[in-house]
Amino acid sequence: MIKIEHLFKSYDKKPVLKDVTLSVQHGSIMGLLGPNGAGKTTLISILIGVIRKNSGSITVNGMDLDHEIGAIQSRCSYVPQTLAFYPRLTARENLEYFGALRDLKGKKLKESMEFCIDIGSMQDFLNKRVDKFSGGMKRRLNMAIGLLNDPEILYLDEPTLGVDAQSRNYILQTIKKINCERKMTIIYTSHYMDEIEQVSDDIAIIDEGKIILHGAKQDILTRADALCGHRSLEELFLKLTSVRLRDED
Amino acid sequence: MIKLFYILKKEFLLIVRDIHAVTILFVMPAVFILIMTLAMQDLFELHSNVVIDILAVNHDTGKLSVAFLKAMEEHNTFRFHLIDKNTVTESVKEQMLSRDYKFALIIKKNFSTFVNKKGKEKHENPLELLVNPTVPVQTQLVLKSTLDGELSKLRWDAFIGRIDKLLAFAGIDKKDLKADKLSPIDVQYVYKGGHYSKMPSAVQQSVPAWLVFSMFFIVIPISNTFISERNQGTFMRLRSMNVSSTYLILGKMIPYLLINAVQVIFMIAIGVYVVPLCGGTALTIGDSLGGLILIASAVSFSAISVALLIASIARTTEQATTIGAVMNIIFGALGGLMVPKFVMPEFMQNLANLSPMSWGLEGFLDIFLRNGGVSDVLPKSMSLLTLGLVMLGLTLILLRRQREV
Repeated sequence: MIKIEHLFKSYDKKPVLKDVTLSVQHGSIMGLLGPNGAGKTTLISILIGVIRKNSGSITVNGMDLDHEIGAIQSRCSYVPQTLAFYPRLTARENLEYFGALRDLKGKKLKESMEFCIDIGSMQDFLNKRVDKFSGGMKRRLNMAIGLLNDPEILYLDEPTLGVDAQSRNYILQTIKKINCERKMTIIYTSHYMDEIEQVSDDIAIIDEGKIILHGAKQDILTRADALCGHRSLEELFLKLTSVRLRDED
Repeated sequence: MIKLFYILKKEFLLIVRDIHAVTILFVMPAVFILIMTLAMQDLFELHSNVVIDILAVNHDTGKLSVAFLKAMEEHNTFRFHLIDKNTVTESVKEQMLSRDYKFALIIKKNFSTFVNKKGKEKHENPLELLVNPTVPVQTQLVLKSTLDGELSKLRWDAFIGRIDKLLAFAGIDKKDLKADKLSPIDVQYVYKGGHYSKMPSAVQQSVPAWLVFSMFFIVIPISNTFISERNQGTFMRLRSMNVSSTYLILGKMIPYLLINAVQVIFMIAIGVYVVPLCGGTALTIGDSLGGLILIASAVSFSAISVALLIASIARTTEQATTIGAVMNIIFGALGGLMVPKFVMPEFMQNLANLSPMSWGLEGFLDIFLRNGGVSDVLPKSMSLLTLGLVMLGLTLILLRRQREV
């Protein structure tokens, strides 16, 4: 379980996260929604221990992020929205490299790689240089690398960005499958409301550094029905965050 | 160990598959070594093949001017191209420019008279030297001094000829007093350790110069991968995997130290085996393997540290490659890599000492040229290692601050 309490973060005195309090249940998928500049990436960056918070407390599976960051990082995995691997290496070479950095070796590394190759459906292009991959293949590899350490918690930052419908469907099915089979806690950010509706158990909406709505998916859709006249997450999202463009935020 | 193996493997594969990096690190300096060695060969060789062509007009009708030109040509450095003796000075100047001569020598009518003159009687100067102003002052002085020397010899021999009866009366053989044809000066090159075996050559200057230059060009591949890792989110992913900044830096340092080591072996091999095939002199690398390893490691460590700092500061690969390349060229020019330090004026030589590339170059020259050892390259190596440590410290501080933002 992830517990975030009264989290504050600012960049150059400009507040980015303002008193964020949020909890994510063990084994659930939480969809994190928010317009550009709302604070999603900052929140995830703090949770994965890449940047430091100003104040507040975070515990992950009972461990305090401030004191047990190494142990937390070894149990978590982060899949960035950018394609965070080496295009001049093959898929196998990328998996081997990231696996080794996860302290995997020998049989364990081989087994983890086989699982990830299977998850990413990459058997046929394993020895091909990644810069020759299609967008969908790259996205699947990006996610597969994140699964090498069999994490307890997986942070997925827009994992379907720029892929075709088939790859998108495959990625969403895979997320549901690993959540179901491995009881993996997943925090999932996306701009696609239908995706969030499709995969999430819980939904949180963040805007201007504050959590403005958080609850079970069914409760939120019921609320959308009450506010907008039908169960549309997108209409509820626009109603709560306003239609103002966020290009300059 | 397995982690290190995969880190090394990854960096090597990235380099090998990056044609631009391979070109910059291996092909560019190898080509530079070949071109510069062959281009500067005559400048460095002791037994120079350089011949200075000189346009000449001889208005003198005596034999002494002919003897004078013959003596000059016996130096094997000057070749005189005589034109019609009635050519006037203005026409000599025109021909000199149109036929691209750097010098023209006019031997005046009074040359023989001047050689045989007695006492301090006033004479017009017997020689006039026309010089193209682009000719280096040193070359002008070499020619002028040789002309002066040969003229003095002629005058001395003429004087001995005039007093031959007096010498015979005194029982002195006039042949013993004639001017020496050969130079009475022995030239020796002085090396550390008392060895006198090696001659400075173009290859001894070019290989270390372009080797140091190429080692510092490691900034291009390092910043390319480092900034790509940062901008593509790989760096963030690695940091989220509990991989420390220190480990990430070491992960960059060790592979590139090995790549620099391959560069050293490759460039030395070019100097030893390829340059002679192209007509140059083979590189000799001295006797101190320890000294060579020390200075090479120090240059490599400082080059990689500087590259890491640039990669940490720059936001884009374009910024990093521009900063890195411009800095390398400026420090290379300043440090005597492009123009040998010994041809620089004193203030430029002092300025050259500010360039870390100069420290590296001098270290390699200590080993290759001056038969130096570990103790000779230690001060330069310490300077380079200190620079590297400072740069590395700044890089780590920057990376830690980025996390604490």
